[in-house]
Amino acid sequence: MTLEFSRSAPFTMGVELELMILSTHDWNLIRGAEDLLALIEKEKHAGDIKPEITESMIEISTGINTDYRTMLAELNAIRDTVVDNARRLNLAIAGGGTHPFQHWSEQRIFPKERFFHLHEMYGYLAKQFTVFGQHIHVGVSSGDDAIYLLHMMSRYIPHFIALSASSPFSQGMDTAFDSSRLNNINAFPLSGTMPFVADWNEFNAYFDTMRDLKVVDTMKDFYWDIRPKPEFGTIEIRVCDTPLTIEKAAALAAYAQALARHLMLDRPSAPSLDVYRVYSFNRFTACRYGLEAGFIDAGTRTRRALKEDIAETLVRVAPHAEALGSTAALDEIRRCNEAGENDASWLRAELKSGQTLNDVVRRQSHLWVTGGKAADSSTGQ
Amino acid sequence: MDEMGFLPSFPLTAANMMLVGAILLCGLAVGQVFVRVLKLPRITGFVAAGLVLGPGVLGLLDQTMLGELSLFVDISLGLILFELGRRLDLRWFIHDRWLLASSVAESLLSFLFVYGTLRFFGIAPVYSATAAAIAMATSPAVLIMIVHDQRAKGPLTERLLALTALNNVFAFLLIALLFGFVHLEYRADWLRAVLHPLYLIAGSAGLGYLAFIAARTLARWLGKREDSQFVMLLGLIVGTVGCAISFKLSVLLALLAFGVFAKNLDRDHDLMAVEFGPGGQFFLVMLFVITGAGLRPSELALAGVVGAAFVFARLAGKLAGLGLFAPLSGIAQKKALLLGLGMVPMSAIAVVMVQGASALNPEFGAKLSSIVLSAVVILELVGPLATQWALRQAGETESATGVDA
Repeated sequence: MTLEFSRSAPFTMGVELELMILSTHDWNLIRGAEDLLALIEKEKHAGDIKPEITESMIEISTGINTDYRTMLAELNAIRDTVVDNARRLNLAIAGGGTHPFQHWSEQRIFPKERFFHLHEMYGYLAKQFTVFGQHIHVGVSSGDDAIYLLHMMSRYIPHFIALSASSPFSQGMDTAFDSSRLNNINAFPLSGTMPFVADWNEFNAYFDTMRDLKVVDTMKDFYWDIRPKPEFGTIEIRVCDTPLTIEKAAALAAYAQALARHLMLDRPSAPSLDVYRVYSFNRFTACRYGLEAGFIDAGTRTRRALKEDIAETLVRVAPHAEALGSTAALDEIRRCNEAGENDASWLRAELKSGQTLNDVVRRQSHLWVTGGKAADSSTGQ
Repeated sequence: MDEMGFLPSFPLTAANMMLVGAILLCGLAVGQVFVRVLKLPRITGFVAAGLVLGPGVLGLLDQTMLGELSLFVDISLGLILFELGRRLDLRWFIHDRWLLASSVAESLLSFLFVYGTLRFFGIAPVYSATAAAIAMATSPAVLIMIVHDQRAKGPLTERLLALTALNNVFAFLLIALLFGFVHLEYRADWLRAVLHPLYLIAGSAGLGYLAFIAARTLARWLGKREDSQFVMLLGLIVGTVGCAISFKLSVLLALLAFGVFAKNLDRDHDLMAVEFGPGGQFFLVMLFVITGAGLRPSELALAGVVGAAFVFARLAGKLAGLGLFAPLSGIAQKKALLLGLGMVPMSAIAVVMVQGASALNPEFGAKLSSIVLSAVVILELVGPLATQWALRQAGETESATGVDA
């Protein structure tokens, strides 16, 4: 049986965001998903809102968008739905890749067959998977295009890690990483990268072998950093931490969209295995140092600052952003890159200003509701 | 004579301290037996230990000793009510008006049902009303202790705490108002009937507010250090309890007000959410053992039927009120049922309220206690069990992961 790759309009996009559900008493995670989802189900709302593996998580996703602005508007509507209903239950919602001080052992698996199965299979890893990521889908018109784009996009994975990083704290400690969340994913046996296949046929052969060997059942069993999503006709970038604001989430999607357009239309080079030879190292430094990381360019065999590589890429994709109408989003990405500011640095600055981790979570929850507008207000809610 | 002065003489000088130590250890031991052997909440064990030690059974703790220990009761209640007040997030009631409606409904219906039941048994209106007002309140001590013991966390726990905080507010206010009627009942003048409730409510709330201002000022100066803030809050709580007693205000209302102000008026979040943890346990164990010692098993036999009817009317009121508004407040009927069961405990606070009434007028207090205390005996022993069961059914305790109290 071969996987059918659904055709979708090139350069469409959609995002999924995993969010934390918080107690407004102590700002720890709270098992509120069931009540919150029951409440949300009763009303008509934009996008899709679903449970995630543990009961303190919720996942929101947008539909298919071409325009960055309409996507932001949709995210806005979904956020308001979730936040308004959470308020009725005295719960709060926040972005961020990890909850700074939750204890993984206190988390409960959401009562759903698939999640119980994952818990059975992965043991404590399942509960440690209480981390929050953003997935970005970009539409492609064929399976072969998906494979090409995926290989080309792999080079840029550190960009997405560093720009989105928002998980400096874990289990009550500063991890010294900007994105500690990705370390939780490395432990899974099917994490990492897709093998270096040439086209969709070769990918299918690989998938069939893995299924015959009973390693996997479905595509869902692969926890790769980027994976093809044949039923949607997209490739899915899965390395981003959930940003602290929907504005940042939308801007990251717009960056992926413009980059995809550049890679598909300009076809700057053929896929190269060298990208995967430096992949783990680049990925690690981006997690560890964020926008201050170094970057090994496999193409030119040089080492440079990641910031420099992002700045250059932004220049290259600028015409595509203009064609897609997302210049404003990429300007915001440029500003963050130049200032060396990601959400991890915001979180660390909050803690440093004499706040406790509980206060940091309260502030990040406030930021989630108000968006970038309240970023520099110092009083919180 | 004096040359043997280094030897102890009777009565022993530090007898009180030995007593406190003995009470704690007895309570702890019986509590452990209840958890390990009987699989019952340890609170029930503490109360049972008190019941057996107290004047009702063995008489090892007599009335004078209990009087000397009342300081512990006041401090414990102060700690609990402050903690409870901090759970009353007024914004929640603004965001979900139906939650407020369900709170008013469960308080009002339990008041009305109990009032009706007591009137049916021929008890005079002013006693029926005061007893019914006491019935409105859920015991925060039992609730907070069970939540702590079971490490309960989740939406039902939060809702239970918020609703309990509010029904305590309603009960305290109503009882303060009813004190006015008690004055009238005993032929006092109108002025006293109006001024006494006013003094109690405004004075206690004012004291709570002053304590909050002091806490916030000190917190700003101390900074966000948990150990410092812990001692500071403890000091202010004990001090406020003392002030409330000295000024003949309501300890319960003042400390609850302190907590509510600390939660809702602390705009810059200067106060930390400190947990009283092991230190607080000391006071809680004392509280439950002393409460147990105040119970009389004989009351149960004496007013068995009225007591049982009281208990059922109260539960029916709570369940009806919560069930009525549950669908509008975004929770399933099953959860409303669990909430109602979680709100069953009614204990130490009721005893204190009765004592307050006794201080007002001994005759009134005696009559009231004969009505209320039989229900207290039942609910003190059954209540913790109901709350624990409700939280477990809601899946919000930690027992599922193998950790037990």
